[in-house]
Amino acid sequence: MTIDIKKVLLLGGGPTNIGHENELDAAAFERLMALKKTGAKIIYVDNNPFSVTSEEIQPANVYVQEVNFQNVINIIDKEKPDAIMATQGGLNAMQIAWQLAESGILASNNISLLGIKPADLRKVIDNQKLRDLLTEIDEKVIASKIVADDDEAMDFVREVGFPVIVKPMSASHDTSRFICNNTDELEDALDVSFKRTYIKRCSIEQSIVGYKEIEMVGIRDANGNKILISGMEDMDPIGIHSGDSIIFAPTQTLINEEYQALRTATFRIMDALNVTGTCHVQFAQSRTDANYFVTKVSPFFTRNTILAAKSTGYPLTYVSSFLELGYNLTEIKLPSKYSKFLAFMEPTMDHVVVKIPLWPFRDITDVDQHLNTLMKSVGSTIGVGRTVEEAIIKAMHSSQFSPRDILPSVSKVNDDDVINQLIHPLASRILILMEALRRGFSIDELSELTQIDRFYFYKLNQLLRAQDYVVNNPLSPQSVEIGHKYGFGDGMLAELWQVNISTIQRMNHNVKNQVTYKAIEPSAGEFMEATNIFYSSYELENESKPFAEKSALVIGRGGNQLGPNSAADYYTAQVLISLHKAGYKTIIMNTNPNAVSLTPQLSDKEYIEPIQLGNILNIVDLEKPDIVFLPGNRHYLSEQLKQFEDLNIVVLPPDQKVATYNQKKATTAVDLFIEGDEVLPVATISFVGKDQRTDLRLINDYKEPMDHWQTDEADLIADAVKKVDSSKWQGLVQILYNTTGDSNYEMTGIRPVRITETAFLTKTTGINWVRVLVRKYLGILDMKSLREQLTPTQHQRSSTMIAKFPFRELQSRQSEGTTKQEVGSAISFKNFES
Amino acid sequence: MTERYLILEDGSAYAGKAFGSLATTTGEIVANSTMNGYQEIISNQIYHNQIIVFTQSSIGNTGLDQNAYESILPTAKGVIVREYENLATDHFKRISLDRYLKQHKIPGIYDVDTREIRHHLQRRGNMKASIVDVADDHAFDQLHATVLTNQQVAQVATPKPFPNPDEGANVVVVDFGLKSGILRELSHRNCNVTVVPWNFTSEQILDLDPDGIVLSTGPGSPANLPQSVLTMITEVQTQAPLFAIGLGHELFALANNAKVYKLAVEHHGSNHPIREIITNEIFFSGQEQGYAVDPKSIDHASLFITHVDLVNGTVQGLRHRDYPAFSVQFSPDGAPGPKDSVGLFDDFMEFMSRRSDNNDDRY
Repeated sequence: MTIDIKKVLLLGGGPTNIGHENELDAAAFERLMALKKTGAKIIYVDNNPFSVTSEEIQPANVYVQEVNFQNVINIIDKEKPDAIMATQGGLNAMQIAWQLAESGILASNNISLLGIKPADLRKVIDNQKLRDLLTEIDEKVIASKIVADDDEAMDFVREVGFPVIVKPMSASHDTSRFICNNTDELEDALDVSFKRTYIKRCSIEQSIVGYKEIEMVGIRDANGNKILISGMEDMDPIGIHSGDSIIFAPTQTLINEEYQALRTATFRIMDALNVTGTCHVQFAQSRTDANYFVTKVSPFFTRNTILAAKSTGYPLTYVSSFLELGYNLTEIKLPSKYSKFLAFMEPTMDHVVVKIPLWPFRDITDVDQHLNTLMKSVGSTIGVGRTVEEAIIKAMHSSQFSPRDILPSVSKVNDDDVINQLIHPLASRILILMEALRRGFSIDELSELTQIDRFYFYKLNQLLRAQDYVVNNPLSPQSVEIGHKYGFGDGMLAELWQVNISTIQRMNHNVKNQVTYKAIEPSAGEFMEATNIFYSSYELENESKPFAEKSALVIGRGGNQLGPNSAADYYTAQVLISLHKAGYKTIIMNTNPNAVSLTPQLSDKEYIEPIQLGNILNIVDLEKPDIVFLPGNRHYLSEQLKQFEDLNIVVLPPDQKVATYNQKKATTAVDLFIEGDEVLPVATISFVGKDQRTDLRLINDYKEPMDHWQTDEADLIADAVKKVDSSKWQGLVQILYNTTGDSNYEMTGIRPVRITETAFLTKTTGINWVRVLVRKYLGILDMKSLREQLTPTQHQRSSTMIAKFPFRELQSRQSEGTTKQEVGSAISFKNFES
Repeated sequence: MTERYLILEDGSAYAGKAFGSLATTTGEIVANSTMNGYQEIISNQIYHNQIIVFTQSSIGNTGLDQNAYESILPTAKGVIVREYENLATDHFKRISLDRYLKQHKIPGIYDVDTREIRHHLQRRGNMKASIVDVADDHAFDQLHATVLTNQQVAQVATPKPFPNPDEGANVVVVDFGLKSGILRELSHRNCNVTVVPWNFTSEQILDLDPDGIVLSTGPGSPANLPQSVLTMITEVQTQAPLFAIGLGHELFALANNAKVYKLAVEHHGSNHPIREIITNEIFFSGQEQGYAVDPKSIDHASLFITHVDLVNGTVQGLRHRDYPAFSVQFSPDGAPGPKDSVGLFDDFMEFMSRRSDNNDDRY
């Protein structure tokens, strides 16, 4: 029976951070598309300035506020929704939902919680209740206890022995777990954990370090019908946080019996919790027998829920929205591009997806870089291939920091360090594994040292052999064929052989298999309906057909690192929306499984391919796009692409290298929009930073309008308009000023408005500046309407955007960061008193 | 690595690399889209005379498991896969895929575009294929000239009865090309099993005093079996609870006057939702099916449909109105595939225990 809903409150994911990127915004966005079909009124709360979702909802229905208990109560009082959807808001939103249920607010306001009933949610949030439930249905859990002090913890360890794992309960984020092998480590872990818990309780449990970590994502409808969307296997054993592990979909080293046991267990757990919607269950699977433990149950959206959907092409978010509303699987109507059977078919894959995490250690250096039970990665990137090797190499292409198309190497590490890193893994884990193989470690030795299944070493070994062959036989057609087969793109071959990419492209005419594109779709070729998501492979059949209409290729940012990456992804998504509205068929290329720009509804076609020259040129060759957009600051790539004169490339925002500075300090800025020789003032900004810092590198927080706007703004705008030379500057431009107080402003520089600030301007002015820029470069900008919308000197409210840094999550001692260390931002509005 | 070819009846040829045996073989080509359990699939006798295309991109990532053979002597005619691994990993160390295929004279081809082949088969339907060294006219002539046997059941089923003793219910399993998953499930339930040849008469079967009878899975068309098998079924179904699976289900339908037709494209996978009509629930199960019961031909006075496949609409389960006899097209033993419907074996046990209760009442 479907639930009749007139007004639903959606809880947003909040600012991006370690543990969640834009995937929650992507989930909310897809959910929005589904909910619109029901006619329900949608209220949204989120303070992430890089949210695409909040811009797709009527502004009056968006609450730009922190997603917390008190704010949600206030919104409930005002809006009187009849339902709340929290699953797309991650763990934070689920905890708020639980608080709302426990405090009786849901019941007294007659609000239904969608996805999971309050009584069942309690069993998930409270670790002990979850254990009781799992024990009741005969699913095995690890011996564990909740302790309130060190003595209780010691008592427990005397019973079960070391190693044990300590976790703070009801902590603000889900990442803290500490493995303790001895009393000293235990004391340290308890010390940290008791500081983090809101309720002064920690859980302590038997360690199962070394088990395989297997993840299952399933869905269930109100009738109890269930589908397993995907099983995934972490290459790294239990002991390394799943968020820091290399993940393979589908599972690689389970036999049918083991796989089916975990699938059945997932279903039993979903039944026991009465989940309607999606559920992600994590397991520890023994390496030597059929024994397994349930380690985590998440009946809400997680990174790997989204990865399961991305890997299979199953429209998970869309379907689960209807499931939460009480629809049965067989009643859900999918958008027309899908086969009508797809919603209720169990996905089956004929490709391999590998996810490699990205770590922030280059940007934040004072943290322990060892991989353990505390999640440290800030992003990830996926490689898709028809073979495991192909998928690994593609993911590695995309996960390196260098923009060049090379395989990073760790050949300088000495033997002792290699052994050390095998036992105590660091971020560059996969490179060390390959290096160890190269130095002659046996597969049995390596498997023993690392607890990684031998299967993966066989695969890495084959990659090494292929790489050696390609390196030692430069410019031979057979090398090209082997390179292609193992996932080395043309760009990588060119770098390895130090030749121009056109040389490789010429050689391609003489090899047997040309590049083909295969669909990522959940029926393994049973149905011809395309999902319009593709990856490359050198085989017989190409399934991607170019558009007959005019088309635009948008080159996504790839995996998130620290810095303005989630903003760049938002920017990319807005470019796609703008191009679509301008009548283009849009093609997005990206590798970040958590990207909002890879939301299926946002483009006409997706390529999950490394963002490298060779891969881009192959796609351009097939699609022949009328225009190529390169959002985000990518000097290397934009310079490479500009060599190809046939390409109509738009780099947005313009390269920051064109900026000119008298000094790199500022307190205030005037943002202008310049079209031809017309200069329109957009807004004034004050840079706010602790300790009165004015160094541009350290400025991450903005306020609009500027301080003292009542007295100083008009003059400063006039000055800025006078100072900018429209023959040199076009689009969104920022004039920087430094003030010493007393209305005394000195101009210090001029630069294109950066990505984060473009998002901020969009939220503060109510004008979508990415859309304005896209229309400007397409030559279809309506200046008259823009002029009418702009009211730069009228202010009803002030807006503030504050950057978030992952220092606490990473246990760094830093407290203030640079723009390169940002992980996300929060925005807030405050009305001026009239 | 030796280059070899997969050639199809419609003239297509695919070059790939050889693994397993280097034998030249001919069979029907079918695609299987189940993602796990390559071992169970290859060793299932239902693939007698068939060449299996795996849509999962890689098989052989684990070694073979002693407990996962569906038959000890596999009779598939070939294995086609994008990529194969030859590993004997961790707890499955005994034997690797390549050695297994060589031992059983099954040729394999890898490094071919299996997704293209799948699409091709979906468009063109079932056909014959060969695995050959050279894709020349001679090879195609041979392929066209090959007449595949219609005596698959006689070739793979046990010629002699044998027991699998236990202390529970007395079950006679009629072997049409039995998969071990059925025996495993009966063993879990302590059944005292006797496996008998496909051509046993009803008298021979009933003389074993069964509490219940299972008609097993098996290869090929049910029409290839003689009328005597159908007679046996009509006679035993009145005497003891009967559970028929796969080919057994098709024979059960024929014995009760329904008709069976050949699917244009065989369906092998575990991704189709199967609806249980009485509860309206859907579930998944391994399906390996070349034939289906024609729903229009069913005499509703004797049979009713219990399960349907929601994708292709085929009948997936039947029940007799007068006797404790039921059948399913799919494989509820989950070897390979989901175990969602393994409870059907419990239903069978329930039928058997009800019967013995009734008998007790009688005496």
